[in-house]
Amino acid sequence: MPISRRQVLAGSAVSAAALASGFPAPAIAQNEPIKIGYLPALTGPSSSTGVGINRGVQLGIEEINNSGGVNGRKLELISRDTQSDPTKAVNAVAELTQRAKVSMIFGPVNSGEALAATPLIARDKVPMMHPCWVDELIDVKKYPMAYRIAPTNTQVGAGANYYVVDVLKLKKVAVISDTTGYGTASVNTYVPMLKTKGAEVVYQNHIDAANPDLKPEMLRMQAAGAQAIMPWSVNAGFLSRICNTRGAMGWDVPIVGQTTLGSGQTKALLEKPEYWNKVYSNNFRQVCYANGKLPARAQEFVERLKKSKIEMGDTLLWWIALGWDSAQMMANVFKAAGTKNDDIVAYMNKVKDWPGVYGTVTWTPEQHNGFPDSEVVMCEVNSLKDGAFNLAPGYSA
Amino acid sequence: MFVSIVSYGLAVGAVYALIGITYNVMFSASRVFSFTAGMLGMLGGVLGALFINKMGMNAVLAFMLVLACGAAMGIVTEILTVRPVLKSIEQHLYVLSTLAFALMIQQVTAIEYNTEPQPFPVLFPIDPNSWLGIVDQKFWLPVLACIVTILGLEFLYRRTLIGRAFLAIAEDSYAARALGLPETRLRMASYAIAGVIGALAGFTGAQMLLAFIGNQAILNFYGFVPVALGGMGSNRGAVIGGIALGLFQQAANFLVGGIFASVAVFAVFIVVLLLRPEGLAGAATARRV
Repeated sequence: MPISRRQVLAGSAVSAAALASGFPAPAIAQNEPIKIGYLPALTGPSSSTGVGINRGVQLGIEEINNSGGVNGRKLELISRDTQSDPTKAVNAVAELTQRAKVSMIFGPVNSGEALAATPLIARDKVPMMHPCWVDELIDVKKYPMAYRIAPTNTQVGAGANYYVVDVLKLKKVAVISDTTGYGTASVNTYVPMLKTKGAEVVYQNHIDAANPDLKPEMLRMQAAGAQAIMPWSVNAGFLSRICNTRGAMGWDVPIVGQTTLGSGQTKALLEKPEYWNKVYSNNFRQVCYANGKLPARAQEFVERLKKSKIEMGDTLLWWIALGWDSAQMMANVFKAAGTKNDDIVAYMNKVKDWPGVYGTVTWTPEQHNGFPDSEVVMCEVNSLKDGAFNLAPGYSA
Repeated sequence: MFVSIVSYGLAVGAVYALIGITYNVMFSASRVFSFTAGMLGMLGGVLGALFINKMGMNAVLAFMLVLACGAAMGIVTEILTVRPVLKSIEQHLYVLSTLAFALMIQQVTAIEYNTEPQPFPVLFPIDPNSWLGIVDQKFWLPVLACIVTILGLEFLYRRTLIGRAFLAIAEDSYAARALGLPETRLRMASYAIAGVIGALAGFTGAQMLLAFIGNQAILNFYGFVPVALGGMGSNRGAVIGGIALGLFQQAANFLVGGIFASVAVFAVFIVVLLLRPEGLAGAATARRV
């Protein structure tokens, strides 16, 4: 039977009337999963962090969904691998905010990608939380819906400076970096901070990380009277050469700096295992061993990881803990505030002393950096066990 | 300080010289400046570490296999990136084709191997306290490789018929072909030899430079400097230029340090080329008018 235009119009009118008279459609939406946009770097040159964090995120989401979800709704991770590439992150943001209509975004997990993605997420007015360290990524005026669940670069540098000056009581320091943007920016930020603390920066330089021989630089530091070396780089080759040269020179000064100092890649490039002695890298109090024991929350978390058969040998505990904390935090937010962006922001602005495994989080309307200074510590790099390190000597337990 | 400048300078210089010779061997056979020299050096280190550390191969077997891979890579370079653009050599398309191929191999290495520097094994178990261990093998290995390469090439070019055929091709490929020399096969053989020399540079220098994809760009550039300084096609010039560059770079590391060491190297490079554009050992070409 042919359908006339009049019949179609009449049918549409009846449907519209049915919808207007309270057709029970909203009930379906209430059981729909809550969509979370997730931007990890699972492949590419900066993926080791992302792979570690991902284990925690996946475990956290699985646990929440297995226990019934949030207010009866499951959490659905819409994951897009950024491949450590800012361009891919930007493309993924457009898809997540505009097409998938996610309620919140976790990530990107590397600063380079976050620098590209954050303005776009802010433009689309989607709440976001990320673990990246670059200070400029949090700005309550420019990005009012962006929150950091990790320390800033300034906090990380301040933690290392505190250890050298206040814990080790060393006043003459050599601060060096490679020639990358991260390295040079770190030295330029941390040197004035050291001077403010009363330390004397006796040597400061940016060094080509490809230089196979660092002895000339190290001899200059030694001649300048340096009592500690603070290298800022994520290049394992460069950092291992510093450790190797110090060892070959028989120069017994501590090396205090970035987390890569304690990575497996740096360890693999050491000429002798003992060249890793007296090397201290950034870490976080809640996930470090003090007197051979992890804090209670972290210990309980490690047991949980072992029970779930999560691999820890090739990654770091704080990466997994950070991912797990982020999943828990998002579940808390949705449970208390629902999925409307304004309600989420209003709730997150009032989070106070939230007890995560990785760190204690506090946000206010004026401060979206949530990590406390006191939990940024240094650890002994040669003490790795189950993905965690011993607190560096000198801290109170 | 002096010992450190000489030992590191000679070792790094020898690696630069070998990469320079790699450029030259490819250039002589085809008049093409192939930017795959650094890639061959990078692969020498990466494949060596892969065969010995990851696959547990014997060092000698691994060494032979690395050289074979270098030769194969040289032949592939010739077939894929040089031969198709030889007809229009004046358009310099080889810059694009060789560079693109080198970058492609670097990316594949990054994906399949590792993006971080990897350790390279100590090849000879020498007790560092014995008289043999006075100079670390990471310093003398590249120098030895450089000496063996120079002697080998001298013997090949001056004492063997096939070597003379290579020289004939390099001198005038049209005339050589008219005399019945198999130009294409000789060119492929030249690229294979270049592949072996490049891989040798990377393998012997890897204890110092580590097995790292980032070495490709460094070797491509610092291997080019001795060729430009020494004159294109001149192996003698490449060796002198390479060693001089290594020693100068290391001296600059000691005297000025930091990023200024690189600036000093570039400054000298530019000054030399301004004073002698044909290179230190190259002959000025006369222009027919």
